Parts: sequence; structure tokens; C-alpha cells
Amino acid sequence: MILEAIITNNVVKIYSGGVKALDGVSLTTEEGSSHALLGPNGAGKTTLIRIITTQIKPTSGSIKVLGFDVISQGSRVRELIGYVPQEMSLWTELSGFENMLIYSKLYGIPSAQRKDIIEELLEFMELRDTANRLVKTYSGGMIRRLEIAIALMRKPRVLILDEPTIGLDPRARSLVWSKLLSFKKEHDMTIFFATHYMDEAERYADKVTLLNRGKVIIEDSPVRLKEIVGGNSITIKLHNSRDRDYIVESLKNSEFKITILDEKSLSFSVNNISRDLPRIIEAIYKLGVIVEGVELGEKTLDDVFIALTGMRVEETPGRLREVLSTRRMIRRGG
Amino acid sequence: MNYTGFISCILTMVEVELRRLRHDPIEIFTRAIQPVLWVIVFGSVMAKVRAFPGVGDYVTFIAPGVIMQSATFIALAYGIMLVFEREAGLLKRLLTVPISRVAIVLGRSLAGGIRASTQYIIVLIAAIIVGAKINLNPLGLFIGWLTIIYVAMGFTGLSILIASTLKTRERFMGIIGAISMPLFFASNALYPVDIMPEFIKIIALGNPLTYTVNILRKILIHGDYDILVDLFALTVFNAISIMAAFKCFSKIIE
Repeated sequence: MILEAIITNNVVKIYSGGVKALDGVSLTTEEGSSHALLGPNGAGKTTLIRIITTQIKPTSGSIKVLGFDVISQGSRVRELIGYVPQEMSLWTELSGFENMLIYSKLYGIPSAQRKDIIEELLEFMELRDTANRLVKTYSGGMIRRLEIAIALMRKPRVLILDEPTIGLDPRARSLVWSKLLSFKKEHDMTIFFATHYMDEAERYADKVTLLNRGKVIIEDSPVRLKEIVGGNSITIKLHNSRDRDYIVESLKNSEFKITILDEKSLSFSVNNISRDLPRIIEAIYKLGVIVEGVELGEKTLDDVFIALTGMRVEETPGRLREVLSTRRMIRRGG
Repeated sequence: MNYTGFISCILTMVEVELRRLRHDPIEIFTRAIQPVLWVIVFGSVMAKVRAFPGVGDYVTFIAPGVIMQSATFIALAYGIMLVFEREAGLLKRLLTVPISRVAIVLGRSLAGGIRASTQYIIVLIAAIIVGAKINLNPLGLFIGWLTIIYVAMGFTGLSILIASTLKTRERFMGIIGAISMPLFFASNALYPVDIMPEFIKIIALGNPLTYTVNILRKILIHGDYDILVDLFALTVFNAISIMAAFKCFSKIIE
């Protein structure tokens, strides 16, 4: 049975300075799924995550985590979640091992099991060799992996991450995600994460909620979202115009949706270009048709965001002052 | 959360502090420079002046006061660590861990108390070297140490309260600077309460430092253990400051 890991219903947060960070956010995260909250800086992602993790209270609206209300049953919620904030959440003057040891005690892990659990997670996160170094000597990727290791120590049912790979290089990012996903698979954990990297949401989330200026723009799987802007396409240019109808006729029962663009070109709508391109080429090759050229039209969630809001995800809109003052407000707690 | 979990959380907060001190003990020594100078320079010079008749040997008289002043400064500055932890995101995480927030505040206060109590050893040794006549009864020395941890817990609580309310380091340092010196001067640390003008006397009697210095003087100089009244005053101060710290602590991450 699919349960809802997180349900938010019409959540509004107005900071005392009058900034409306969330303006009626309703979303649902299925248990066992990976759910991304995607939006530009200042969209309200961190505010929503801080409300879900029981740090601040919403102005109105309700939020449930695995059936527990975050406002009235905060301590129950804290027992079920793991959380990694956007900023660094470690004691940098202590070693990686010491940080894990301290948290294992705070989590109430029995002393007989502590060492094994810590060793296992350090190994899993590829931090074993550096476990005795002070955290202040760690790289960004190592810090993130250690923070995640700490959050996983108690095998949380829901792991909540705020910008998990912000500032990391591509290699470090993919390492963080491969670890996260393999743990998720093994323990059937739900992952809820905020990001402003659209490729991260696209690659690692089953469901994406687009958030802008405190409002949900749309919520769906990355593939379905991209269908809004036409999905990915592969355009085939033919040498000979009479081959066009021959291909359409021969492949009409195939899985691909084919659109005729002009006399000598056809467009295939596909979900995954790297998987579908060789299959299309192979099918055409079998028909003995000469292909003159191929054009790839890969749509991203950024295209969806632009189509729906008129601006890009990864660009901070030109209201720096507003963003800064909102951040200050979030920090101060208004 | 059960009783053992509660105690274990307090002890773990102390453990963080001890591990931190082990990795970086320098602050303990740099913090001790000023009080050591108070005893060695100020104490020796004032002893020659004989400004306060009736206090006996002046270096001996101010040694407990200066120890307390130094410990109090460290305890009061403890909150800056929370301001940094708040900025770093550490507190956000700590407060989403399923542990009692009372235990966090108590644990951090005790940790601050223990950090502050390191001054006891250094300044005491310095005072003895320049001729302070300290009663070296081990039990007395031990009770003196416990007293310092106890009252420094209260001052750390006060510091957590200020950090939770002001939230930025500039504001925090401003207010700590404003209260720590007056706290020292409006106490019996450097001169007896009897010689103070009436209004300062009133302040001194409401100042927890006065009672702590009283206890230390009784134990360390006179070997006198009649300290219940002073301990009661300190307990009132600790209860108020730690409870207020707890009340405000959750606000620190808001």
C-alpha cells in the first residue's frame, strides 16, 4: 500500500517583516519515492523544509509526516526523519568519527552497536580513511557525505535534504547521489529534497514540484512535466523525400510517435534520447533508407519552468535586494 | 525520552566540549593571561598600597575574585559558539534530532561551566606562585572547583539566553562586553562589600559573583565550610538563568 510520507495542505508562511515566503503550498510525497522541490533562489524551498522538519511554525495550513502533525506532534516527527540542512551542520573542530560518535549517542544508539554502525556508514560513504581527520580539513563533498552518513545512522523513514549538492563539483555530486540512491533502495527510504539544479531534479527524482515565489506551479514526474513543452525529440533528415512516408508506414506500430515536419524530415517524440536514438537509427537502417542527418531536441525542466513562469530556474531573478532581505528574515525567523 | 536518554544527552553535550578542548586547548591559556596579570601585577601593587585595611594579604584576598572573574568571562562568552553554530546550520540539525531541548540547554550549560572551570587551576597556581596563602586541603580545592562549575553553568545559561535572543555576533559581543566588566567591579572580587557606596552595595548583593567569591574565600582561604546561604543564592540565580535560557533556546533557529 502506498502511504503518504509528507502531505502539506495550503501552507502559508509570512515572516514578521511581511515577506510572504509560502503562499498556499500543497504537495504530497509518496512513501518510498524521491521527491524534488525545484525552484529558483527565494522560491520558498528552505522555508518549507524548515517547517516540515519542525524548526519553524507555519502561519497557517497543515503538514503531516507519515501521518504525524508537525505542529502538535513535532517530537514524533523528529523520530522518523533524517535532515541535512543547506549549511554545514558539523563540529568542524572534531574529527569525522567524533561527529558520528556524538550523534550516535544523541540518537540513543546502544553503545554495543555504535561502533559497527559508524564503521559501516563510513565505509559506505567512502570516508573510512579520513575518519580521524578534523572535519575542517575535509572537502565539500566529504563534508556532505559525512552529514548524510549522520542522518542515515538511525535509518530514517524520510530523509529531508536542503540543496544536498550545492557548491559541489559534478563528480562529488554524482557520488553523493549514488550513495543516497543505493541507501534509499536498500532501506525503502523516502527522499525529499530541495534544489535549484534542474538536472538534479530531473535525474534523481520520481516527482518534481516546481515552486516559484511561494507557490506550487506544477507537480508531476520529470517525464510528464517535459511533455508540457513537447518532450524530447529526435529529428531525422532524409536523403530522399519518398522515404518519408515509407518510414511512417513501416513504423506506425512502433512505440514512437512520429510527426512529419516537411518533405524530407520527420520528428520522433521520445522519453530518453540516449536510449531511443540507437533504436530509431537501427529501425531506419533496417528499412534500407539513407539518413542525411540527425538533430536532437532535448527538453529540460528549465524549459518547463520558462514555459510556465517566463524565467529560468538557475538564474536569480533581478530582485537581489528582495532575495537578500528574505534570506535575512528566514535566518532571523522574522 | 526516558531518564537515561536525558542524562546521556547532557553528558554527550559535555563530551563535545571536552573533545573540542582536547583538539584546541589554546583558548584556555590565552584567556588565563589577563587574570594572571590581575593577580601578579594589580594584586602585588595594590598589596603595597594597603588600600583596603582589614582584608589581610591582598594577593590572597583577590585570588578567588580574579579566578571567578575569568571563569565568568569564559562562561558569558560561551554563547558566541552557539551564534556560530546557528550560522553554520549545526543548531538547525541539533534541534531536529529527537532529544530533549531541556537536556541540550542543561548539557551546553554544564559544558560551558566545565570550560570556564579550567581557569581555576591556572589562576590558582599563578596566585600561589606570587605568594597567595591558599588552603591546600584537597576536599576544599575540590569543592571550590565544583562551585565554579556550578555558577559558571548559570552564567553560561545567561549567555545562551543572550545568544538566543540577539542571534548575531556583533550584538552578542556588544552586550557581553557591556555586562562583564560591571559585573566584576560591582562585586566583592577586588574589594570588600563594606567599603562600597550604598547603591553599589545593593547591586553587589544581587550579583551572583559576590556569593561565589564568598564561597571561594571561605573555603580556599579560611577553610570555612559555612556556605549554605551563598549556595542558596547561587541556586536561585542558576534556576532563573537556565530556565530563561531554555525558554528562549528554541527561538535561536527560528
